[in-house]
Amino acid sequence: MNTARNSARRRPAIGIFIVALILIAAAAGANAENSGATPLVEIAQDQNAPATPDASKPATPAEPAAPPPPPGAPPKNLQPIFPGDATSILGKKVQGAAGEDMGRVVDILVDGEGQPRAAVIDFGGFLGVGSRKIAVDWRLLQFRPTDRKAPMQLSVARAEVQAAPEYKEKNEPTQVVGPPAEAPAAPDAAK
Amino acid sequence: MTALHSDNKAPHSTALGRIRLAQLSPARGLDWLNLFVANIQTGFGPFISVYLTTQGWTQTAIGFALSLGTITSMASQLPAGALVDAVRSKTRVAALSILVFTVSALLLAVAPIPLFVYLAEVLHGFSSCTLGPAIVAMSLAVAAEAALGVRLGRNARYASIGNGVGAALMGAFGYYVSERSVFILTALLTLPALIALVPLSGVADVPPPVTGNGEKTQRTEKIGAVLANRQLLLFALCVMLFTLSNAALLPFAASALTKRAGGDEANLLIAACIVLPQLIVALISPSIGRLAATRGRRWVLLLGFSMLPLRGVVFALLRDPAFVVMNQAFDGIAAATFGIMVPLVTSDITARSGHLNLSLGFIGLAMGVGAMISTTLAGWIGDRFGDQAAFLALASAGLAATLLVWRAMPETRSPT
Repeated sequence: MNTARNSARRRPAIGIFIVALILIAAAAGANAENSGATPLVEIAQDQNAPATPDASKPATPAEPAAPPPPPGAPPKNLQPIFPGDATSILGKKVQGAAGEDMGRVVDILVDGEGQPRAAVIDFGGFLGVGSRKIAVDWRLLQFRPTDRKAPMQLSVARAEVQAAPEYKEKNEPTQVVGPPAEAPAAPDAAK
Repeated sequence: MTALHSDNKAPHSTALGRIRLAQLSPARGLDWLNLFVANIQTGFGPFISVYLTTQGWTQTAIGFALSLGTITSMASQLPAGALVDAVRSKTRVAALSILVFTVSALLLAVAPIPLFVYLAEVLHGFSSCTLGPAIVAMSLAVAAEAALGVRLGRNARYASIGNGVGAALMGAFGYYVSERSVFILTALLTLPALIALVPLSGVADVPPPVTGNGEKTQRTEKIGAVLANRQLLLFALCVMLFTLSNAALLPFAASALTKRAGGDEANLLIAACIVLPQLIVALISPSIGRLAATRGRRWVLLLGFSMLPLRGVVFALLRDPAFVVMNQAFDGIAAATFGIMVPLVTSDITARSGHLNLSLGFIGLAMGVGAMISTTLAGWIGDRFGDQAAFLALASAGLAATLLVWRAMPETRSPT
């Protein structure tokens, strides 16, 4: 009697497991469809729109009371960014001058003008143990948007990144690995 | 006892694939189970945060996902333990837990979108809490109470081999193939873990407290009485102090290595810091299990706990990378004793109450609390007063734990 009950109970468990697998596989398919190489589309702000070469709409006179677009319709002020013109960098690899591994970008520090000041890279470690977050001066990074795997190169020696203090979100002054000592126009290293 | 016999028979067919599962003894099954489960758990370790980083996750989101896993496993320790106590077949609990690991690993591998990652963290957190006690319960059934120490020693040996091999395999897959492949590998490794359960089916089907034929002796104590057991509370405190001292030591030492050791060497040294203790655990665990049976638990506990202040002080004072790696040998001794003594002493105290798994959950909760305090405290002290102070603080927690074991913890081995 016991064995009969056991086998009867085992079946639903396996069934649930199989259903779960199918769901995961379906979701994976849906996810893969989204990640195609479509050009990014950026919503432009209306105020500084003059620079946009909008050839399709030659000098539209002021439209009086344009009806609000139906929900779900794409907004009119779209600009494309084509693949290779720009790329996502969060989580992407940073290479050294000789192509060596310099970690991954995990955060970006931006100042009041919207200018990036430093990139925070997660550096070193094995299987997630022992890695350190280091802030490096933004100007030390070169970008290659066409290289999707490693779109950044950092021109500073590994040893310098290694010896730098760890980046802490709340620490008062963030210590940033700057360009080699001579650069006089870098007042950010307040030691 | 019977299990130890059947070990020695060599499989007739040398070809790996032809070893017949039915002929595998429960003891061997348990060996492989420990090995593969440790393999799998390596995949759910700190590497998840590397993986999510590569998928463009922000540090805040990663922190949230990992905390979700931690909170789930803390919250489910007690309920999961009680659940395992209540279920007749511990083997089935183990099988379901491993299947949930499969699902979690696949969720992570297939699409690291927030919903799936959170779900994977929650599922893994809960099923870890059911699998651990179930393995102890099966060990108790396979080895009988008197030989549990020796059996747990064997568990620890195979688990550490699994950890070491897992770290090497997953490190290689992460480096040479892709970050995602680590989780596909983790999911695949759940299959041999399930197969290892085959010879164990039915092994722990009879819950230990209900013995005697004819009349059922109702010896199951009230849950409140078990958790108010003074010895258990005291042991939980010792265990909490142990993890408080231990949990942050390796991450801290490893990050110091990244800072100090030159070039690519640092990553290799960190790998050595992870693998060396596993090697030592694999080597000495059976002897530790035997020592616990012959010399008594207190003696072995003191040996293991005293490694903590030693490690902390060495990390604080000797900063040469070679010393840091060698210091990890002490971690091997501590890990071997801790891994064996936690289930063994808990079983000593509570096996007869009918609430062994609940008690294991309680001890697991104490470990979780200790680990959480450890990283927070060490991080805070490290920020404010430097690495050295953090190491010394962790060492003093270890010293407190050792003193507590020495002064207050009674011998729990049942007199024979």
